[in-house]
Amino acid sequence: MSNDSTKSIDAGLRTAIDKSVSNPVMFFFTSGAVWLAVSVLLGVFTSVKFHTPSFMECFGGLTTGRAYAAHINVLVYGWCFQAAFGTIIWLMSRLTRKEFKSSATVLVAGHLWNVCVGLSLVGILIGKSTGVPWMEFPKFSWVIFLILYLFIAVPVFTQFRVRQGGHVYISQWYLLAALFLFPWIYGTANIFVHVIEGSAVMAAAVASWYKFALIFLFFLPIAFSAAYYIAPKVTGRPVYSYNLALLGFWALVAIGPWMGMQELVGAPIPAFLPYVGATATILFFLPAITVGLNILMTIKGHETLAKQSPALRFTTAGTFGLLALGGFAIWLNLPSVMKGTQFTITGYGFEMLALYGVFSMLIFGAIYFIVPRVTQREWLAPGFIRLHFNISVYAVIAIVIGSILFGILLPGVAQEQFSASWKSSANANLASDWFNTVTWLCALIANVFFCFHLALMWARLGRHSKHPTLLVDHHGGSAHGADGKVQNI
Amino acid sequence: MTFQKFILGLVVAFGLPWLLLIVIPFGKMSNLEAVSFDEDEDGRVGVYSSDQQHYQFGSAVYGANGCYVCHTQLIRPTYAGSDMWRDNWAGQNKDADDQDTRRESVPQDYAKETFAHIGINRVGQDLSSVGYRLEKEAASLGLSPEAFIYRRLLAPRDFVGKHWSTCPSQPQLFKKASPFAKSQNVVTFENAEGELQAYVPKKEAKALTRYLLSLKKDNQVPASMSYKPAK
Repeated sequence: MSNDSTKSIDAGLRTAIDKSVSNPVMFFFTSGAVWLAVSVLLGVFTSVKFHTPSFMECFGGLTTGRAYAAHINVLVYGWCFQAAFGTIIWLMSRLTRKEFKSSATVLVAGHLWNVCVGLSLVGILIGKSTGVPWMEFPKFSWVIFLILYLFIAVPVFTQFRVRQGGHVYISQWYLLAALFLFPWIYGTANIFVHVIEGSAVMAAAVASWYKFALIFLFFLPIAFSAAYYIAPKVTGRPVYSYNLALLGFWALVAIGPWMGMQELVGAPIPAFLPYVGATATILFFLPAITVGLNILMTIKGHETLAKQSPALRFTTAGTFGLLALGGFAIWLNLPSVMKGTQFTITGYGFEMLALYGVFSMLIFGAIYFIVPRVTQREWLAPGFIRLHFNISVYAVIAIVIGSILFGILLPGVAQEQFSASWKSSANANLASDWFNTVTWLCALIANVFFCFHLALMWARLGRHSKHPTLLVDHHGGSAHGADGKVQNI
Repeated sequence: MTFQKFILGLVVAFGLPWLLLIVIPFGKMSNLEAVSFDEDEDGRVGVYSSDQQHYQFGSAVYGANGCYVCHTQLIRPTYAGSDMWRDNWAGQNKDADDQDTRRESVPQDYAKETFAHIGINRVGQDLSSVGYRLEKEAASLGLSPEAFIYRRLLAPRDFVGKHWSTCPSQPQLFKKASPFAKSQNVVTFENAEGELQAYVPKKEAKALTRYLLSLKKDNQVPASMSYKPAK
């Protein structure tokens, strides 16, 4: 068989796969993006309430505490999960080179997932929150989310098991690990917090562990999976070091489950738990630098592509975010620093850097790559993508400065001055709170463009063109790059 | 690597920390052995137990309204933070008997709750022993502790010296009433604009108030349980 006919068969197979996943993938991305906009709006509201508590006080139920819980939970269960599901389904189908057969089941589960997020959000706002950080959705929701997750994850697992042999790529390792570990993590957290009546303070420790396990063993592996797919695909070269990729994978799997309980240092739980958590979080630097350098070395030499390709630009930015996250993981968990950061906004900043600066940026990259393929249309407006990218980067920088750095330098230091009045410590939060307002306003603008652009693509209003949408216009030429069908990569 | 070996690797890598960090400590901490006072060291005999009252509904209202977003309930040992030395945070600097009751938190302090509201941020003060502070402030204004807390929940910044506070008002815990209603349940006060306001506390406000007043986590613990360094 000639090379040309092989290429043509491959392109045909890719098109068939993309069509088979088109509906669930676009559904998850679009509904996730809407929830992201809702979460960001709640983030703006919460940060304003922190520095101006009388803001919209007429809406009695929308207090700072309730709005904060709503903001975090909608971000996690509305955006992050659905963006992850869309990415998982597309990547696994493409990598197993088989059409996805369970679109209808997954779509029904996806709709119910959204209903559950919506009802749970209302639950928080009317005062039915559980009061457990990151698990504030009313108790009824966790069993439903777990069942719906199984309806989404089992078909993806099946997709992998019925593949026709061949090499299992590193992206698939990350996907399988995340898919396998999530029910264990989620079930453990909810059973120990909501079902078993035991130590209340250990329940709080389990809740802290859950946050980190969810970020580092579910969300980040899926984002890494996407980065390991996008970087070689767009640059047209293999991963820089496959051994390094495997090392990074097993390092994350070995270190991730120990992280989280450092948030309870000084609490009356076995003293080794917070220190094991702090040590493991410091060690996260290893998988962070392994994955980060591997992706950047794969891109090295193709800097122009990283500027032109929306997918690669977001992937590169997310990878730099990952290196920053690894650096902060070391610094924030040193015993001398933890004293001042344990109960400041720094922890929130670290979590937002992970969820927005790394996970979301890498997933945005994946979405800019995937959507033209599943819709058979090109992105409409490079200007929208450029705005989305630039403003998102400003938001991430504002998270780092406002929440992480100011959190340590201002309230972190003030809280330890025990002979000063509490007023000085409380006022030390204001700079971070104002910065957070700027952060979420930036993110709101960025994501309104993203959401609108994505909705147009879902409505099949994208460009019907052979030219991929690129971000840099060469010397007055087309902004859409050289000729080439989107299915060819 | 086969799929089975891959899954086995995941099970080992995740299962070991799962057992050591979650299952075993949770089991042990849920069945703590009773600790006895030592007559020589503690000046008393008997077995230690928490005297924290059982206000689960109040604790649930505290969680549902997100109080833990700005307030903590944890007095850390001095190696982890200086909480012990903040005035009246860890207990009473001087109680009625002129004793310093301050101490770090112990697991039994949370024994009667389903979830320990350790908290995530300290925009406001630690509430481990806020009951004492609320009673003192109420007395200084000539109010009952309950009436004082209702006013604080409704208008947290309308008190002398508290205008800087960023604590939000919690009107959702109250029903509006006529300022001229003659009922003991009605909380009346003038707002910042000088208008007379009247509210009736809902059951959530009453439960939260009882819960806050019960927060006095400073009962004497055996010396073997708590290290209390000299300042």
